[in-house]
Order: sequence, then structure tokens, then C-alpha cells
Amino acid sequence: MTLRFLSGGLTGGRIVMLALLVAAAILVPVLNLALPESHPLHVPTYAVTLMGKYLTYALLALALDLVWGYCGILSLGHAAFFALGGYAMGMYLMRQIGTRGVYGDPVLPDFMVFLNWQELPWYWYGFDAFPFAMLIALAAPGLLAFIFGWFAFRSRVTGVYLSIITQAMTYALLLAFFRNDMGFGGNNGLTDFKDILGFDIQSDATRAGLFAASALALAGGLVIAVAITASKLGKVLIAVRDAESRTRFLGYRVEHYKLFVWTVSAMMAGLAGALYVPQVGIINPGEFAPANSIEAVIWVAVGGRGTLVGPIIGAVLVNFAKSWFTAALPEFWLFALGGLFVFVTLFLPKGIVGLAKSAVQRLRRMREPQTPGRETKTPREMAAARPSEQAAE
Amino acid sequence: MTVKHTKSLSGLALAAMLASTAFTGVQAQEETIKVGILHSLSGTMAISETTLKDAMLMLIEEQNKKGGLLGKKLEAVVVDPASDWPLFAEKARELIEVNGVSAVFGCWTSVSRKSVLPVFEELNSLLFYPVQYEGEESQRNVFYTGAAPNQQAIPAVDYLMNEEGVERWVLAGTDYVYPRTTNKILEAYLKSKGVADEDIMINYTPFGHSDWQTIVSDIKTFGSAGKKTAVVSTINGDANVPFYKELGNAGIKAEDIPVVAFSVGEEELAGLDTGPLVGHLAAWNYFQSVDTEVNAEFIDAWHAYIGDDTRVTNDPMEAHFIGFNMWVKAVEKAGTTDPDAVIDSIIGVTVPNLTGGYSAMMPNHHITKPVLIGEIQDDGQFETVWETSGLVVGDAWSDYLEGSKDLIADWRAPMSCGNFNTATGKCGGSGS
Amino acid sequence: MLALTLLCAVFAGTVQAQSADDDLRARLNALASGGFDETQRQIDAIAATGDPRAAPALEALSEGDLYFRQSDTAVFIVRKEGSGYRLQDPLTLEDTGTAGRREVKKIRVNNRLRRAIRTALGTLTLRAPDPAARIEAADAIFKAQDVDSIEPLDAALAAETDTDVARHMREARAAAVLASDRPTQDKLEAIATIAARGDRDARSLLTGISNGPDTALHEAANAAIAKVERVQGLWDTARNIWFGLSLGSVLLLAAIGLAITFGVMGVINMAHGEMVMLGAYTTFVVQSLFRTAAPEYFDYSLIVALPAAFLVAGLVGIAIERGIIRFLHDRPLETLLATWGVSLILQQSVRTIFGPTNQEVGNPSFMSGAFEIGQLTITYNRLWIVVFALVVFTVLLVAMKATRFGLYVRAVTQNRRMSASMGIRTPLVDALTFGLGSGIAGIAGVALSQIDNVSPNLGQSYIIDSFMVVVFGGVGNLWGTLLGAFTLGIANKFLEPVAGAVLAKILVLVFIILFIQKRPRGLFALKGRAVDA
Repeated sequence: MTLRFLSGGLTGGRIVMLALLVAAAILVPVLNLALPESHPLHVPTYAVTLMGKYLTYALLALALDLVWGYCGILSLGHAAFFALGGYAMGMYLMRQIGTRGVYGDPVLPDFMVFLNWQELPWYWYGFDAFPFAMLIALAAPGLLAFIFGWFAFRSRVTGVYLSIITQAMTYALLLAFFRNDMGFGGNNGLTDFKDILGFDIQSDATRAGLFAASALALAGGLVIAVAITASKLGKVLIAVRDAESRTRFLGYRVEHYKLFVWTVSAMMAGLAGALYVPQVGIINPGEFAPANSIEAVIWVAVGGRGTLVGPIIGAVLVNFAKSWFTAALPEFWLFALGGLFVFVTLFLPKGIVGLAKSAVQRLRRMREPQTPGRETKTPREMAAARPSEQAAE
Repeated sequence: MTVKHTKSLSGLALAAMLASTAFTGVQAQEETIKVGILHSLSGTMAISETTLKDAMLMLIEEQNKKGGLLGKKLEAVVVDPASDWPLFAEKARELIEVNGVSAVFGCWTSVSRKSVLPVFEELNSLLFYPVQYEGEESQRNVFYTGAAPNQQAIPAVDYLMNEEGVERWVLAGTDYVYPRTTNKILEAYLKSKGVADEDIMINYTPFGHSDWQTIVSDIKTFGSAGKKTAVVSTINGDANVPFYKELGNAGIKAEDIPVVAFSVGEEELAGLDTGPLVGHLAAWNYFQSVDTEVNAEFIDAWHAYIGDDTRVTNDPMEAHFIGFNMWVKAVEKAGTTDPDAVIDSIIGVTVPNLTGGYSAMMPNHHITKPVLIGEIQDDGQFETVWETSGLVVGDAWSDYLEGSKDLIADWRAPMSCGNFNTATGKCGGSGS
Repeated sequence: MLALTLLCAVFAGTVQAQSADDDLRARLNALASGGFDETQRQIDAIAATGDPRAAPALEALSEGDLYFRQSDTAVFIVRKEGSGYRLQDPLTLEDTGTAGRREVKKIRVNNRLRRAIRTALGTLTLRAPDPAARIEAADAIFKAQDVDSIEPLDAALAAETDTDVARHMREARAAAVLASDRPTQDKLEAIATIAARGDRDARSLLTGISNGPDTALHEAANAAIAKVERVQGLWDTARNIWFGLSLGSVLLLAAIGLAITFGVMGVINMAHGEMVMLGAYTTFVVQSLFRTAAPEYFDYSLIVALPAAFLVAGLVGIAIERGIIRFLHDRPLETLLATWGVSLILQQSVRTIFGPTNQEVGNPSFMSGAFEIGQLTITYNRLWIVVFALVVFTVLLVAMKATRFGLYVRAVTQNRRMSASMGIRTPLVDALTFGLGSGIAGIAGVALSQIDNVSPNLGQSYIIDSFMVVVFGGVGNLWGTLLGAFTLGIANKFLEPVAGAVLAKILVLVFIILFIQKRPRGLFALKGRAVDA
């Protein structure tokens, strides 16, 4: 079954992306670990960690594309799922510190010792076990998304109302995790991690391993996303996006389809968060900031909404640009980034992937002169060619 | 690494190589000593941190005029961590690993410092942290040139108790680790001085809190219990302006309920009409109004550098001034910028501070400072009303907290420990 | 000291003026010597003379305007003039020339001294001709519970004709009596007088004696406190409502421009907050101009700033609409991305031009201070902001409902093509509508600059709240925005004392999420087909 779905959904670009990810998962660690630093092909650890971070962002963007690109749900709160997954991982890493914290308490993390807590709160139980933590990293965002979606989709909250309440959700979580009384470390969050599964978190090998895990997780996420979108269920999702009422009148329980893909997407985001935390070394309430969710939406838009491969490219490119700008133009990088967003929205309405596709089409037309097509389209015409957009919004 | 090689890879690997080549940038012609500046230039903290970046650039420029360091010029590497805490760690790594800086001056918030700590530890580099902070930390690679709680909070409370006869205390702060710790220390300290539980009110607000009506009204109510009341404010940066505006408008005068703040300096007051706030207090280790030769020179240099003689100076700038000079002196002493050598040589280094005395780097990586209490004046400056007679040694581990009263830090051999437990005689905190 | 005061009061008239003058001058000059403790002794001694001529000098001391000459320690009231100071004789207030910066030195005061001065001034100005000054004097004694002032108060009371002033004096006297060692009967009377005030200060005084050794007093005080607290419970509710209205009006101001650009036009305008910020910065620029060009008219700066902010933000808005948003009419969600980019650019522009630090925006005098209704302290700036928010709302409502422009706006947003075929110039209407929404955000910035930071981050702190208000109220409905803003404001302020500021905010957000489940299109939902777009 799955294979059939896949074969339907695996277009050229997606195959290339999958191959690239798998290749990167193998090659980058090898180039980092096996080659001496002086070797021209050596990939510095710094770059490995940075790319690992980009890949987790890419997974978040992919998750967002699944709901926005294929189901028309513009989530302005996806960073909340990402952060929840991150906190689950962070709690596991915190428990691994053991007596190596500054106060040397064998059970309590430093911030609890400091707040005079006498025992571990119940919701921290079990996080010393990696499988349990991973389960929660998926289950916590999934459950939140399920409950949130259960209510919202049944009440038929749609369009911009849904977007704004997802924003309210992530903002409320930001404030909640920010409170020291919640027991998640307050504004400082969780940090000073020592090791993961017994491996030193600062060693090159662990970093390379985490990078490989991120690349493979992204590849896995892409396969799942392709499988979902290429299946019959995926067709219904697109129908929901393009004409929700009509789909409902045809007898589909729209809210079930939405709820399914919404929950899957949240779990994917949670996994991304869980992989993100050990690589950047800190998780704090700042990850819940509404601005982060908006940025994730922008990655999707830059790469190309509803293309699955696009968001991955978009996330990596925008973040690479951000890393580069903040160092190269520390005083002016916001101009560059802001300008990029405006530019992409105005001139690349289908994102980078859309641009590439139309370039390919143009090439084909040039090769087959017997079917003359129009050479260019204005942004407005391109938009008009996508009736789906309006209904989705 | 050259561009030719990057072509041989594809896809993500390409991006990786691009990243590293881009960061490496053009090789400088002349060999320099690089100094990293890690302060947010955008986002919520830009308001405070941008000034520190400029101050560092000025200090580096002046040092170069004096002939640089070890015969080489200093070169500042500025990055923007954008008030994004994980980005601080990433940028710190970039500064050390890619740019190869010899020391980093930076961070403001506690969380940004916590975020970069593991990076400095792993890559063995130096961080000079210029802001007053909560203590409870001493790390081998970090030098804390701002005030520890015992260099700010406790003297301020003593002053209010003795000079103003305050018996009732409101501890108001933003809900993060610095106010939490400071308030815990103060609470323990006040109780040790016989202040009853019901005479202490603790209140926490979120970052950037802008509607202070309820809290100001609560403070007024709390202050009407027949005892002299004061507010100890650890409210962070941005939220102070609306807080003081509400305070001024609600008619709470410093004579009735004085507010002593630990995070309000000249820079924060620059956004305020201080007329209604005259007499409210702040505790720092430096005020712009301090009347010394070296301070006048510093202020003139700052005005000349920034090209605006209305710009103020403040305490964290002085901390960078001290920290930078200490680093320069330690590097000269060690004859190298190698971090291990500098870590050894910097302890005991003494440099002039801006208040007319000398500050020394202690074995716990904190420095000695005088404590000044100032009252806000209507020109936006502080007037010193009290100061410690000598220098106060920064205390990494508070004596007033249960978990840390037995801990000390000493980075000299043979102890070389940031959390040595004097009770158990072991390095590694207070646990079993 | 008491005897001394009496003596002075009695002899002040008879003793030769010349010797009293010398004596007072000597005492004033003595202020220049010694530390805070010494200065306090001198202040007490001056107060003890009971000579009202010392009042200006003490006031100047409290304000930090009393300096002494380094050469002879003579004391002067000074005013800054150029790089030096203009000197004034502290007693006769005559002009006595100027002095350079290094020639005179400020006499330092701290809070304790200011308190002592306030009390001293209270005693000295009890007989001042201005009733307001007499009330102030009485209140100062009330706060200080200055026992030595009972006698002067009795004397002043006997001569007092103004009933209001007399009441303040009686309360001040009662407060002083409570602190004195007078008999219980006197104190019981005093408690009754103070309990009648029924405010926080009264409670403060009564609490002070409620655990004394005298049981009769003790009980009377406790009974009085209970009474005061009952009254205060009611006032607390009133206060929460007022705070809620005030917060609501801030939310309304922040959101109302968005109610046009987002609510009416459907643009998810993430740059809305930056329009507010531009308005605040315009206020700063206007005020700076006033400060340098016409400081005496500073109070009018806001009146100039309002149209200026409207124009600046409005023009920027029109530029954004013409340059970006008009290309995105068919894809409203993507306006989010473009306007987010615009907001980053605007923030950084302001940071580059004005610097990242806070800018000082002053309150004009009519917006400073507070007044009291019963026990409700209402600050003028909050009051004006409530009034202003309502005025802006009304004007906007009229503009949208009763003008031709408003008609066009509604027509274009409901059906662009049909409007165009009816001859409405839709591009112009679009640009003007967006300009109007942005301009309104700009004048909101003028108001918000009075209570908040003026920094590049100003806009960011309001954008989320603004969206919540508009969505909660119902997109496209101005009344919904009004009601939404006040509901959220009041809910927040009633939750805050119970739950704390952070939790209150979380609860309000959860409430919005739940409310939207119940009414998926907000408080006032638009009806009709346009909604489904």
C-alpha cells in the first residue's frame, strides 16, 4: 500500500531530496570524523551542528507544509509543538546530568535546588528513560494538537480565526513556561546538558550522530508526508483546502481528516524539537514566541507551499541567510531579511520550487515550439491560476 | 578551504561548505588579535546591549591607538545574536571556532550567559560578562565583571534599613532567575535581620510588562500598614519605563515609599522624565556622575566616539572597561593570548576602575568593586548618597542561600574548582 | 524643642527683626556644613524658629537648588544659567549675581532629609495665605505625625475659616495626637476623626496603634480598621473596573487601526505595531522640536503630534499599500509574510536612525499627576487616554458609517468588482483605507508614548494583543473591537489581583481560545456571503 502511495507521490525532486538527505546523513559525519582537520574536504564540527539545526527547522517546515500546503490550515503556533518536543528532550537531558550540576544534587536539576524544591515534581518522573522521553516528545505535542484540533475543527473555526487562536495558544504556552513555578526552569529554560544516551553531548562523534539522526528523521518525515499526500486521504485533504464546504456536502467528515493531519504534523514538529535541543544545547520559553511560528510559515512560503520539498529548501536557505547575515551585516541584516520576505512574496508567489518548476516548463516549451505558451505571467495571473488559494483562506 | 573544493560536493554538504567559507571571510592581510563582541543588536535586548557593543569598539580602538597588544593590532569581530538565546550559543561557537577570537566580551541576560557557557567550556575560550547577575555560578572560562548580589543588593537594603528606617519591604521583579535569586537572598537576609514574614511582599511580572496599575496600587496598599515601606525593584529593562511613569503619576513619592532598583541605570532613565522620580534610588558600582578624573576622561572619550554628547554612560560599560583592561594586562603578563595562560595570569590583576579606585580579579573570577547608592536627580543622573568605605569582593555563592552557603570558588591550582564544598571538602556542589 | 517653638511663636513679633534675621541666616548657612545627620539637626532647628521666611530656602534645599559658596560657606538659592549659576539670597530672595560652576557646591539631600523638610515646611506654612498651601502643610504633618505641630495646629485651627482646610488640619492634629503621649480620651477622639477619612492612610495610621499596650485604644483602632476595610472592599472593585477600562482603552487604541487594515480590508498586517511605533517616534520628534524651539508651549506638543503622527504613519501606510499590498489582493494570507518583512525593515530603520535606546517622551502638565474620587486614584494620563480612545473610536465610526468615503470603503471590501463597475476608483479607496488604518495606529502611538517605552520594540509588544482584540470582537466590526478591548481589559484586571499578572494573561488567552470555539467568528460576526471568502 504504502509503496504504491509513494510511487504516486515520489516525483523527481522528492527522490533527489531523499537521496541527498540519506547521502548527507552518511557523508557529512564521515567527512567530519574520518578526515583530518587540515584536509580540504573536512567538514568542521561547527558546520555539522549548524546544518543539523537547519535540518530540524526543515522538519518543522515540512510539518507545517503538511497542514498549510495540503489542508489549508495556516498555523501560527507550530513552534509550540516544536518547543514541547524540545522540552521533553530537554527534561531527559536534564535528568542525565546527575550529580554533575553545580549543586551536585543527584536527583533535582540545578534550578529546582535553587528554588528550594525538595522533590521532583510528578511530571518529571520517567524522564530519565530515553524511550519514555521520546514517547512524550511525540505524545505531548500530539495530544495538545488533538485536543486543540478536536474542539477547533468541530466548531468549524477556520481561516484567520484559526490562525489567530493558534497564535494565542503558543503565546499562552510561552507565558506558562516562562513562570518559574511551572517547574520547567522559567526563562532560563533547560541547559548545561552533559550527555545523551551515555555519549558526551559535546563530542564531535555525538554531534555527527545527531546530524545524521536529523537528516534521517527529515527523510522519514518526507516519506510519511509523501505517503499521506499521495494517498486517497491526501486527495480529500486537498479537497478540504480548496472547497471545505463542498467536501463536507459530499459526505466527508472534514473535521476527522483535518484532525488526523493536524495531529501528525504536530508530532512531526515535536520530533524536530527533540532533535533540535541537544544540538543547540538549550531549550527555553523563547521557542514558543509567536515570531518563531511566523518565521516557520515564512520558510514554507519561501521554499514553496504545498510542495513538501520546497519548505525543506526554504528552511535551510532562510536560516543559512540568517546565520550569514547576522555575522556579515550585524547592523543591517534585518533589512536584508525583511527585504527577502517582501521580495519572495511579490515576485516568487510559488516560492523557489515554483520558480524552478516554471523555469523547467519554460525550457520544455522552448524545446517544443509547436505548443507556444505565454512566456511570462504576472504575479496576479499566477495567483488567479490557483483558485485553491482563496478558498483555503 | 577554497571555493574549488566546495564545488566538488553537492546539496546540503555544499551548504555546509558555503557556510564555513562565508564565515571565514577574507583572510586579514596583517596578523591581528581578534576580540569577539557578542551583544544583541536587534530584538528585545538591543536596547541595552547595543551601547555595550559601541563601548567595546571604543575600548579596542583606544587600545590600538596605544599600540595594540603584544605588538599586534586588535581586531573586533561583531556578531548579532538577535536576543535569541540559542543563537547566542551558535554565535559564540562561530566567534571561537570560525573567527578564532582570543576572548569574547558579551551577553546581558542570564539565559544568554547560560546558553553560551557550555560552548566556552568545550572550546576553552574566555568570556567577560559585564552585567550584574544572580551569582550562584563560577565557571573557569568566564569572568564576571558585573556585580554579584552581595555587591549590589545587600548594601542597598542595609542603606534603606539604617538610613531610612525601612521596616516593610516589597520585592518586585521580573520573573526570571536574577530577580528570583536576588529576592531569595534578600528575603533570607531580611529575615536574619528580624523582619517578619508579613512585612515582605514578593511580586513577579512578565518581561516587558506594561500595565502597572494594579501592582502600583498594591504597593500603595502594602505601604499603608503603618510602617515605613520601601520597594526593592529587580524589574528588568523595558518594563521600568511604564513602571516609573505609573509610579510618578500615582503620586508615590520617594519620601513616602522609596524604590531602590538594581537594573535601572542612566540608560534606562534616558527614556523618562525624572522630575517626579527624584529621590528614588539605585545601587550600582558606578554612576556617570562620579566626580573623578578618570571618569571624566572616559565620558569625554565616549562622547567623542559616539558623536553625541547627550549619550550617557552606565555601570555595565564600566564593567567592560575594567574587564577589557584586565584582559589586556593579563595577556601582557602571560605574553600570549592562550586562554589557559590568561586564566592563570589574570587572577590578581588590578586595574583602575572609573570611581577612583582599583578593581582586582579574584580567584573566584569575580572582581572587587565599591558599592554606590544613588538617588535619581531631575536631570536623569544619579547622585551618590552613600558608598561603601572600601571595596567589596564579589561572592559567587551566596552565604544566605541554603544550597550554596558552603560553596566557594577558587580557580587557582591546586583547587581549581568553581563549586568547592567546604563542608565535605570536595569539588562538585553540595550534594552527597 | 516644644518650648522653643512656643517661645518663638510668642516672641516672633516682639523681638527685633534684625536679630531674628541674623539668627535665621546663621542657621541657614549652617546647613552647608556636615553630613546628612548634621543637616537634619539644622533643618529641625530652622523649623523650630517657626519663621515662614525660611520656607523658600527649605523648599530649594528639598529640590536640590540650595548651594553654598566654597569661599565663605554662604548659602544661596541657585538657578542654572549658562555654564554657571545665578544666585539668590535665601531670605530676601534678592538677586545677588552669578557664580561659576566650581565656585558653589550643592548641599546634598536624601529622602530622609526631604521628609524632614516636608514636615518642617508643614509647620512653617500652616498660616500661608493660599488655602492649598495650608492643606499641603496639614497633610505633611498628617504623614509625619509630627507631635511638635499640635500646638501650632491648634493655633492655626482657631484662626482657620475655610472648612476644608480645617478638616485637613483636624485630621493632621489627630494623627499627631496618636503619636503623642496624650491621654487615652484624646486619642479615642483622634481615632474617630481618622476613621472618618476611611482611606489607606487612615488604615496605615490605625494599624500602627492597633497593637499598642492600651486595650481601649486597641479595640477602638481595630473597630475603626474593620470599618475602613469594608469601605475599601467596595473601592477595590471600583478600582479594578477603572483599571480594566484603562487597560481596555489602551488595547482599543492599539487595535483600532488594525480593525481597519485587518478587520475591514482583510490584510493580515503584521506591520501594524510598527505604525504605532512610528506614531510614538513622531511624538518624540515633535517634542524635541518644541523643547528646542518653544519650550514654553511644550504642553501643546501633543496637539501638534497627533496630526503629524497621523500623516507620517498614514503616508507610510499608503506607501506600503501601493508598493506591496495591492499586488496581494487575491492572496490575503500572503500579506502576512510581506508585512512581516516590512515590520522588520521598519524596526531596523528606526533603530538605525534614532538608536536602539529608549527615547524620552514627556507628559504635558495636563497629563501628569492624579486626582482622587473618594479613594480611587485616577491618574490624568490614564483618564485622557480613555477619553481619547473613545473619541478616536467615535470619529472612526462616523467616518465609516456616515461619510461617502466610508460608504466606498465598505462597498469595495464587500465586492470589489461591483464597486469598480459602479465607478468607484477602487485602487484609490484601497490606498486611502490602508492609510486611514495606519494613520489611526499612528495617533494611537502618540497616546501610548505617554505610558510606555518609546523604543524600536514598542510595536512588537502590542501586535499580538491587537490581533486578539480584533478577532475576539469579530473581524470587520468596529463595535466588536470596542467591546472586545474593554472585555479583555476588565477581565484581565479582575484576574490579576487573584492570579498574578502572568497567570491572568494566560487565563485571558485560554478564554479567547475557548470563546472562539463557541463563536467561531468572534463576538459580532459579519453575516452574509462575504464572510466565507
